[in-house]
Amino acid sequence: MNKYWIILMITAGSFTSGYTQTYVSKNGMIRFYSEASLEKIEAVNRQVNTALMSTTGDFVFRVLIKSFNFEKAMMQEHFNENYLESDKYPEATFVGKITNIRDINFTKEGSYPADVEGKLTIHGQTQPIKQNGTLEIKNDAVTAKAKFSILLADYRISIPNTVVNNISKSIEITVEVMMSKLNK
Amino acid sequence: MKLWIRILLGLAVAGIAAAFFVYHFVINKPHPDFEKIKPDYTLNAGAFYNEFKTSRENASKLYNGKVIEISGKLSRVENADTLTIAVFVFSKGMFGDEGIRCVMLKKYSEDAKKLKPDGTIRIKGYCTGFNETDVIMEHCSLIYNQK
Repeated sequence: MNKYWIILMITAGSFTSGYTQTYVSKNGMIRFYSEASLEKIEAVNRQVNTALMSTTGDFVFRVLIKSFNFEKAMMQEHFNENYLESDKYPEATFVGKITNIRDINFTKEGSYPADVEGKLTIHGQTQPIKQNGTLEIKNDAVTAKAKFSILLADYRISIPNTVVNNISKSIEITVEVMMSKLNK
Repeated sequence: MKLWIRILLGLAVAGIAAAFFVYHFVINKPHPDFEKIKPDYTLNAGAFYNEFKTSRENASKLYNGKVIEISGKLSRVENADTLTIAVFVFSKGMFGDEGIRCVMLKKYSEDAKKLKPDGTIRIKGYCTGFNETDVIMEHCSLIYNQK
Protein backbone atom coordinates (compact mmCIF):
# COMPACT_ATOMS: atom_id res chain seq x y z
CA MET A 1 0.00 0.00 0.00
CA ASN A 2 1.25 3.45 -0.89
CA LYS A 3 2.90 5.08 2.15
CA TYR A 4 1.05 8.36 1.64
CA TRP A 5 -2.28 6.57 1.61
CA ILE A 6 -1.33 4.92 4.89
CA ILE A 7 -0.37 8.29 6.41
CA LEU A 8 -3.73 9.76 5.45
CA MET A 9 -5.58 6.72 6.79
CA ILE A 10 -3.75 7.01 10.11
CA THR A 11 -4.48 10.74 10.19
CA ALA A 12 -8.13 10.07 9.44
CA GLY A 13 -8.29 7.41 12.12
CA SER A 14 -6.65 9.59 14.74
CA PHE A 15 -9.29 12.27 14.30
CA THR A 16 -12.40 10.14 14.08
CA SER A 17 -13.37 10.87 17.64
CA GLY A 18 -12.99 14.63 17.12
CA TYR A 19 -14.82 17.02 14.88
CA THR A 20 -12.79 16.37 11.77
CA GLN A 21 -14.83 15.28 8.84
CA THR A 22 -13.50 13.17 6.02
CA TYR A 23 -14.99 13.75 2.60
CA VAL A 24 -14.58 11.00 0.04
CA SER A 25 -15.48 10.19 -3.53
CA LYS A 26 -15.00 7.14 -5.68
CA ASN A 27 -16.35 8.76 -8.82
CA GLY A 28 -14.25 11.85 -9.27
CA MET A 29 -13.48 13.05 -12.77
CA ILE A 30 -10.09 13.84 -14.28
CA ARG A 31 -9.86 14.94 -17.88
CA PHE A 32 -6.73 15.67 -19.81
CA TYR A 33 -6.49 17.56 -23.02
CA SER A 34 -3.75 18.48 -25.40
CA GLU A 35 -3.90 20.15 -28.75
CA ALA A 36 -1.08 20.14 -31.27
CA SER A 37 -0.95 21.19 -34.91
CA LEU A 38 -2.38 17.95 -36.26
CA GLU A 39 -4.39 16.38 -33.50
CA LYS A 40 -6.18 16.99 -30.25
CA ILE A 41 -6.02 14.34 -27.58
CA GLU A 42 -8.63 14.10 -24.88
CA ALA A 43 -9.39 11.43 -22.31
CA VAL A 44 -11.65 11.17 -19.29
CA ASN A 45 -11.48 9.08 -16.15
CA ARG A 46 -14.57 9.01 -13.91
CA GLN A 47 -13.30 6.51 -11.35
CA VAL A 48 -11.05 8.79 -9.32
CA ASN A 49 -10.65 7.92 -5.64
CA THR A 50 -10.41 11.03 -3.48
CA ALA A 51 -10.26 11.91 0.19
CA LEU A 52 -10.13 15.29 1.94
CA MET A 53 -9.73 15.94 5.66
CA SER A 54 -11.62 19.08 6.58
CA THR A 55 -9.42 20.05 9.54
CA THR A 56 -5.92 19.26 8.33
CA GLY A 57 -6.54 19.94 4.64
CA ASP A 58 -4.90 16.64 3.71
CA PHE A 59 -6.00 15.83 0.20
CA VAL A 60 -5.26 12.76 -1.89
CA PHE A 61 -6.44 11.28 -5.11
CA ARG A 62 -5.63 8.06 -6.82
CA VAL A 63 -6.45 7.20 -10.39
CA LEU A 64 -6.04 4.02 -12.42
CA ILE A 65 -4.42 4.75 -15.77
CA LYS A 66 -6.36 2.06 -17.63
CA SER A 67 -9.61 3.79 -16.60
CA PHE A 68 -8.92 6.73 -18.95
CA ASN A 69 -11.29 6.53 -21.88
CA PHE A 70 -10.44 8.02 -25.27
CA GLU A 71 -12.63 8.65 -28.27
CA LYS A 72 -10.20 6.76 -30.49
CA ALA A 73 -9.22 3.21 -29.59
CA MET A 74 -5.78 3.57 -31.14
CA MET A 75 -4.98 6.60 -28.99
CA GLN A 76 -6.04 4.66 -25.91
CA GLU A 77 -3.75 1.79 -26.88
CA HIS A 78 -0.77 4.07 -27.48
CA PHE A 79 -1.47 5.97 -24.26
CA ASN A 80 -1.41 2.77 -22.20
CA GLU A 81 1.31 0.87 -24.02
CA ASN A 82 3.77 3.50 -25.24
CA TYR A 83 3.38 6.65 -23.17
CA LEU A 84 2.06 5.89 -19.67
CA GLU A 85 3.11 2.20 -19.70
CA SER A 86 0.10 1.35 -17.58
CA ASP A 87 1.14 -2.27 -17.01
CA LYS A 88 4.30 -1.03 -15.31
CA TYR A 89 2.82 2.10 -13.72
CA PRO A 90 -0.88 1.30 -13.19
CA GLU A 91 -1.83 4.45 -11.30
CA ALA A 92 -1.25 8.14 -10.80
CA THR A 93 -1.52 9.74 -7.36
CA PHE A 94 -1.64 13.14 -5.78
CA VAL A 95 -0.78 13.53 -2.11
CA GLY A 96 -0.87 16.98 -0.60
CA LYS A 97 -2.71 19.60 1.35
CA ILE A 98 -5.05 22.47 0.90
CA THR A 99 -2.82 25.01 2.61
CA ASN A 100 -5.53 27.60 3.27
CA ILE A 101 -7.98 25.08 4.74
CA ARG A 102 -8.66 27.39 7.72
CA ASP A 103 -10.20 29.92 5.32
CA ILE A 104 -12.79 27.39 4.21
CA ASN A 105 -15.97 27.16 6.22
CA PHE A 106 -17.34 23.68 5.68
CA THR A 107 -20.56 24.58 7.50
CA LYS A 108 -21.39 27.48 5.20
CA GLU A 109 -22.38 26.95 1.58
CA GLY A 110 -20.32 28.82 -0.97
CA SER A 111 -17.36 28.73 -3.30
CA TYR A 112 -13.93 29.10 -1.72
CA PRO A 113 -10.52 29.51 -3.38
CA ALA A 114 -8.21 26.65 -2.44
CA ASP A 115 -4.42 26.67 -2.55
CA VAL A 116 -3.18 23.17 -3.15
CA GLU A 117 0.35 21.93 -2.64
CA GLY A 118 1.67 18.42 -2.86
CA LYS A 119 3.31 15.74 -4.90
CA LEU A 120 1.95 14.40 -8.15
CA THR A 121 3.14 10.99 -9.27
CA ILE A 122 2.62 9.93 -12.86
CA HIS A 123 4.51 7.27 -14.81
CA GLY A 124 6.50 6.48 -11.67
CA GLN A 125 7.88 10.03 -11.48
CA THR A 126 7.02 12.35 -8.59
CA GLN A 127 7.07 16.11 -8.94
CA PRO A 128 6.08 18.86 -6.52
CA ILE A 129 3.03 20.77 -7.60
CA LYS A 130 1.39 23.97 -6.42
CA GLN A 131 -1.92 25.04 -7.91
CA ASN A 132 -5.04 27.04 -7.21
CA GLY A 133 -8.50 25.59 -7.37
CA THR A 134 -11.88 26.01 -5.76
CA LEU A 135 -13.89 24.14 -3.16
CA GLU A 136 -17.65 24.44 -3.44
CA ILE A 137 -19.65 23.59 -0.34
CA LYS A 138 -23.26 22.70 -1.00
CA ASN A 139 -25.75 20.31 0.59
CA ASP A 140 -23.11 18.73 2.85
CA ALA A 141 -20.99 17.86 -0.17
CA VAL A 142 -17.68 19.37 -1.25
CA THR A 143 -16.80 19.77 -4.91
CA ALA A 144 -13.13 20.32 -5.65
CA LYS A 145 -12.26 21.88 -9.01
CA ALA A 146 -8.89 22.66 -10.51
CA LYS A 147 -7.32 23.11 -13.91
CA PHE A 148 -3.57 23.08 -14.52
CA SER A 149 -0.92 22.02 -17.02
CA ILE A 150 2.01 19.67 -16.69
CA LEU A 151 4.99 19.01 -18.92
CA LEU A 152 5.26 15.45 -20.22
CA ALA A 153 9.05 15.62 -19.90
CA ASP A 154 8.76 16.18 -16.13
CA TYR A 155 7.22 12.72 -15.85
CA ARG A 156 9.58 11.08 -18.34
CA ILE A 157 6.82 10.53 -20.85
CA SER A 158 8.69 10.51 -24.11
CA ILE A 159 7.20 11.25 -27.51
CA PRO A 160 8.55 9.30 -30.48
CA ASN A 161 10.10 11.50 -33.18
CA THR A 162 7.60 10.23 -35.76
CA VAL A 163 4.66 11.82 -33.93
CA VAL A 164 6.44 14.66 -32.17
CA ASN A 165 4.40 17.25 -34.12
CA ASN A 166 1.11 15.50 -33.31
CA ILE A 167 1.44 15.65 -29.57
CA SER A 168 1.77 18.71 -27.40
CA LYS A 169 4.66 18.81 -24.94
CA SER A 170 2.27 19.80 -22.17
CA ILE A 171 -1.19 18.60 -21.25
CA GLU A 172 -3.99 20.40 -19.50
CA ILE A 173 -5.52 18.52 -16.59
CA THR A 174 -9.00 19.26 -15.28
CA VAL A 175 -10.08 17.86 -11.94
CA GLU A 176 -13.68 17.87 -10.74
CA VAL A 177 -14.58 15.76 -7.74
CA MET A 178 -17.75 15.84 -5.68
CA MET A 179 -17.02 14.38 -2.24
CA SER A 180 -19.56 13.35 0.36
CA LYS A 181 -19.19 13.05 4.10
CA LEU A 182 -17.82 9.71 5.09
CA ASN A 183 -20.24 7.91 7.37
CA LYS A 184 -18.35 5.86 9.91
CA MET B 1 -3.58 3.84 -72.88
CA LYS B 2 0.17 3.95 -72.45
CA LEU B 3 1.75 1.46 -70.10
CA TRP B 4 3.28 4.09 -67.78
CA ILE B 5 -0.09 5.79 -67.37
CA ARG B 6 -1.68 2.46 -66.43
CA ILE B 7 1.08 1.80 -63.91
CA LEU B 8 0.64 5.26 -62.39
CA LEU B 9 -3.14 4.83 -62.19
CA GLY B 10 -2.71 1.40 -60.61
CA LEU B 11 -0.30 2.81 -58.03
CA ALA B 12 -2.68 5.69 -57.28
CA VAL B 13 -5.61 3.32 -56.75
CA ALA B 14 -3.48 1.06 -54.55
CA GLY B 15 -2.32 4.10 -52.56
CA ILE B 16 -5.86 5.35 -52.01
CA ALA B 17 -6.98 1.85 -50.96
CA ALA B 18 -4.04 1.56 -48.53
CA ALA B 19 -4.76 5.01 -47.08
CA PHE B 20 -8.43 4.10 -46.61
CA PHE B 21 -7.47 0.82 -44.98
CA VAL B 22 -5.02 2.49 -42.57
CA TYR B 23 -7.47 5.28 -41.71
CA HIS B 24 -10.47 3.02 -41.23
CA PHE B 25 -8.96 -0.07 -39.65
CA VAL B 26 -5.90 1.31 -37.85
CA ILE B 27 -6.23 5.02 -37.00
CA ASN B 28 -10.00 4.99 -36.59
CA LYS B 29 -10.45 1.39 -35.55
CA PRO B 30 -13.38 0.94 -33.18
CA HIS B 31 -13.08 0.23 -29.48
CA PRO B 32 -13.36 -3.46 -28.56
CA ASP B 33 -16.92 -4.66 -28.13
CA PHE B 34 -16.58 -5.72 -24.50
CA GLU B 35 -20.08 -7.12 -24.44
CA LYS B 36 -19.17 -9.72 -27.04
CA ILE B 37 -15.61 -10.53 -25.98
CA LYS B 38 -15.12 -13.94 -24.41
CA PRO B 39 -13.89 -13.49 -20.83
CA ASP B 40 -10.25 -14.26 -20.09
CA TYR B 41 -11.24 -15.42 -16.60
CA THR B 42 -14.48 -16.46 -14.94
CA LEU B 43 -14.40 -16.10 -11.18
CA ASN B 44 -16.36 -15.76 -7.98
CA ALA B 45 -16.49 -12.04 -7.12
CA GLY B 46 -15.27 -12.52 -3.55
CA ALA B 47 -12.33 -14.70 -4.59
CA PHE B 48 -11.42 -12.20 -7.32
CA TYR B 49 -11.39 -9.32 -4.83
CA ASN B 50 -9.40 -11.32 -2.28
CA GLU B 51 -6.68 -11.99 -4.82
CA PHE B 52 -6.11 -8.23 -5.11
CA LYS B 53 -6.23 -7.76 -1.34
CA THR B 54 -3.73 -10.58 -0.80
CA SER B 55 -1.27 -9.55 -3.49
CA ARG B 56 -2.04 -6.51 -5.56
CA GLU B 57 1.06 -7.07 -7.67
CA ASN B 58 0.28 -10.66 -8.60
CA ALA B 59 -3.41 -10.02 -9.22
CA SER B 60 -2.63 -6.93 -11.30
CA LYS B 61 -0.29 -8.91 -13.53
CA LEU B 62 -2.96 -11.51 -14.02
CA TYR B 63 -6.12 -9.47 -14.41
CA ASN B 64 -5.39 -5.82 -15.32
CA GLY B 65 -6.39 -5.14 -18.90
CA LYS B 66 -8.31 -8.41 -19.13
CA VAL B 67 -12.00 -9.14 -19.57
CA ILE B 68 -13.30 -10.85 -16.44
CA GLU B 69 -16.64 -12.47 -15.70
CA ILE B 70 -17.58 -12.44 -12.03
CA SER B 71 -20.54 -13.77 -10.12
CA GLY B 72 -21.58 -12.88 -6.61
CA LYS B 73 -24.05 -11.19 -4.33
CA LEU B 74 -24.72 -7.61 -5.42
CA SER B 75 -24.55 -5.03 -2.62
CA ARG B 76 -26.09 -2.03 -4.37
CA VAL B 77 -26.32 -0.03 -7.57
CA GLU B 78 -25.01 3.55 -7.54
CA ASN B 79 -25.73 6.37 -9.94
CA ALA B 80 -22.98 8.95 -10.39
CA ASP B 81 -23.48 11.62 -13.01
CA THR B 82 -24.32 9.60 -16.14
CA LEU B 83 -22.77 6.39 -14.83
CA THR B 84 -24.48 3.37 -13.35
CA ILE B 85 -22.23 1.30 -11.11
CA ALA B 86 -22.94 -2.15 -9.72
CA VAL B 87 -21.12 -2.52 -6.41
CA PHE B 88 -19.98 -5.65 -4.58
CA VAL B 89 -18.88 -4.84 -1.03
CA PHE B 90 -16.50 -7.19 0.76
CA SER B 91 -14.93 -5.10 3.49
CA LYS B 92 -15.03 -1.72 5.18
CA GLY B 93 -11.96 0.48 5.33
CA MET B 94 -11.08 3.90 6.65
CA PHE B 95 -12.73 5.46 3.62
CA GLY B 96 -15.91 3.42 3.53
CA ASP B 97 -17.01 0.28 1.73
CA GLU B 98 -14.46 -1.64 -0.29
CA GLY B 99 -15.03 -4.20 -2.99
CA ILE B 100 -15.60 -4.37 -6.74
CA ARG B 101 -17.13 -1.46 -8.67
CA CYS B 102 -18.53 -2.32 -12.08
CA VAL B 103 -19.26 0.61 -14.41
CA MET B 104 -22.07 -0.54 -16.65
CA LEU B 105 -22.24 -0.03 -20.40
CA LYS B 106 -25.01 2.47 -21.18
CA LYS B 107 -27.01 -0.31 -22.80
CA TYR B 108 -27.20 -2.11 -19.44
CA SER B 109 -27.79 0.91 -17.19
CA GLU B 110 -31.56 0.60 -16.96
CA ASP B 111 -31.45 -3.15 -16.31
CA ALA B 112 -28.75 -2.66 -13.68
CA LYS B 113 -30.85 -0.02 -11.88
CA LYS B 114 -33.60 -2.63 -11.46
CA LEU B 115 -31.28 -5.14 -9.78
CA LYS B 116 -32.12 -5.93 -6.18
CA PRO B 117 -29.43 -5.85 -3.48
CA ASP B 118 -28.41 -9.28 -2.19
CA GLY B 119 -29.37 -10.91 -5.47
CA THR B 120 -26.76 -13.09 -7.13
CA ILE B 121 -25.70 -11.74 -10.50
CA ARG B 122 -23.12 -12.32 -13.21
CA ILE B 123 -21.25 -9.40 -14.73
CA LYS B 124 -18.57 -9.24 -17.40
CA GLY B 125 -16.24 -6.27 -17.75
CA TYR B 126 -12.78 -4.92 -18.41
CA CYS B 127 -10.59 -4.85 -15.29
CA THR B 128 -8.59 -1.62 -15.01
CA GLY B 129 -6.99 -2.45 -11.68
CA PHE B 130 -7.11 -2.09 -7.91
CA ASN B 131 -6.88 1.38 -6.34
CA GLU B 132 -6.16 0.18 -2.78
CA THR B 133 -9.85 0.21 -1.89
CA ASP B 134 -11.70 -1.20 -4.89
CA VAL B 135 -11.20 -3.30 -7.97
CA ILE B 136 -12.51 -1.30 -10.93
CA MET B 137 -14.27 -2.93 -13.86
CA GLU B 138 -15.35 -0.83 -16.85
CA HIS B 139 -17.61 -1.43 -19.88
CA CYS B 140 -19.62 -3.99 -17.93
CA SER B 141 -22.52 -6.05 -19.19
CA LEU B 142 -24.98 -8.25 -17.33
CA ILE B 143 -25.07 -11.93 -18.14
CA TYR B 144 -28.66 -13.05 -17.89
CA ASN B 145 -28.61 -16.74 -18.63
CA GLN B 146 -27.58 -18.73 -15.61
CA LYS B 147 -25.34 -21.69 -16.35
